Amino acid sequence: MTESRAQGGGGGPTVQRMLVGAKLRRLRTDIGLTREEAAEAIRASEWKIHRLENGQVGFKQRDIVDLLRRYRVTDPAEIDELLAMAREANNPGWWQRYTDVLPQWFRAYVDLESAATLIRTYEGQFVPGLLQTDDYMRAVIRGAHLDDSAEEVGRRVRLRMARQTLLTQEHPPRLWAVVDEAALRRPVGGREVMRGQVERLLEAAKLPNVTLQVLGFDSGAHPGMVGSFSVLRFPDQELPDVVYLEHLTSASYLNKPDEVDQYLHVMESICVRAAPPERTAELLDKILDQL
Amino acid sequence: MSEEINTNVAHPARVYDYWLGGKDNFPADRALAELMIQAIPNMRAMAAANRAFLSRAVRYLAADAGVRQFLDVGTGIPTSPNVHEVAQAVAPGARVVYVDNDPIVLAHARALLTSQDAGETAFIMADLRQPKSILDHPALTQTLDLRQPVGLLLVAVLMYFRDGDTPNPFEMVATLLEPLAPGSYLAITHPTPDFNAEETARAVAAAEQAGVTLVPRPRAEVERFFSGLDLVEPGVTPVLSWRPDEPPADPSVAYYWAGVARKP
Repeated sequence: MTESRAQGGGGGPTVQRMLVGAKLRRLRTDIGLTREEAAEAIRASEWKIHRLENGQVGFKQRDIVDLLRRYRVTDPAEIDELLAMAREANNPGWWQRYTDVLPQWFRAYVDLESAATLIRTYEGQFVPGLLQTDDYMRAVIRGAHLDDSAEEVGRRVRLRMARQTLLTQEHPPRLWAVVDEAALRRPVGGREVMRGQVERLLEAAKLPNVTLQVLGFDSGAHPGMVGSFSVLRFPDQELPDVVYLEHLTSASYLNKPDEVDQYLHVMESICVRAAPPERTAELLDKILDQL
Repeated sequence: MSEEINTNVAHPARVYDYWLGGKDNFPADRALAELMIQAIPNMRAMAAANRAFLSRAVRYLAADAGVRQFLDVGTGIPTSPNVHEVAQAVAPGARVVYVDNDPIVLAHARALLTSQDAGETAFIMADLRQPKSILDHPALTQTLDLRQPVGLLLVAVLMYFRDGDTPNPFEMVATLLEPLAPGSYLAITHPTPDFNAEETARAVAAAEQAGVTLVPRPRAEVERFFSGLDLVEPGVTPVLSWRPDEPPADPSVAYYWAGVARKP
């Protein structure tokens, strides 16, 4: 799908690095240089160019200047623009004030999420973070961090709430979520909390930029059983989709085409199997009745 | 409900998505898309020209012809602006039924092509080879009032059928038009060998090699789809020349015929 959401604003350093990296890659391939040849211009290894182009490391201004010269970019405006983007890529994201409760591995995700135009997510165990109620969040966070103080739990909840404003801001991304029936029936935080959560989902599904599908038990075995994941899409054509996989103490970000293709295939398969969005309200009502 | 999907073979909707700069495509789709770009270097721009025609035709039908209902067959992967967005910008109550035979396209359409407020959108998984299954589908009968005019959109889809198919593509179009009220419209774009036979033949070879039927048709054959209808000005023209927002520098660079006609 092509998207028309305006660029700029959100994103934070991770996405800015990816953007600068993607531009550097295009400039290099435009003149037919190998990564090895480019590396000579900045007295570095082929691996360094690889990491720069994938947005995995920060940029030194001098490296950018040298690379652009090697790539025969002479337009001062173009050079200035890229240097400015590279500087921005070294600035902290909006989540900086939550770093005490925001593990390093999750920061990049918050950046990516706030730059995405389309967030597709499959959740087998939880209600997706962007759609959780305050109480459900507390129950999940308490469940996952048994030794947190009440103060820490409060900050984690506020961070998630801050993430949720994404969906109601001007030019919001589209969230296309598939939630497994198991995640909707498990009474996280008790019956009352869960009823409140399902009611919240009924409301969220009415938002014009939220699509919610329920993957019912009647689907039997399905490719998503390997685990929850998200696919993030960005407005810039040169940025590949990023697959996000969360683990207990870390997360993986996949953006190699063959890996993204496989997860996108699984996501398509899940979306095709799940009940269509126009049935979501009916299914949630039924679950609510039985809670 | 649980249609199996196959991304190992190229699918025309995803090949189109690639040309339009979308990211909902897979290696087999990209491979064919690239081969066809080798055959026709202007392929991406041609795909964009088709989307632009779709917008202009729907805007014309909604604004100038007063059409409030649309049947879009061969919807493809959603690409902004979509038919209901264009129609509802003119007439907020406009209703659109999207039809495609690909489960992935349908999942995307259902997720992303939802209407605001007064208007309505519905989705049908069906094949143009069974036009009756489209017409009789409950989603169509619940969404469209066939006593009122309908804009039937067949944009870049008829080339996937051969003259020897049963029914043949001319019969498919006739069957779809048959129950539509007088004052309904038909909009078509169709690739053609007329502008560059050599490049077009190479594109056909690439498509057939990948198992995708592709039948470009000369102008007279494209006009045949409009039999019994009254073509609106400027008639069947190169896709870039049909009521353009800006006159095209060279209309012959996009190898598609386009036309819109009214059912008397």
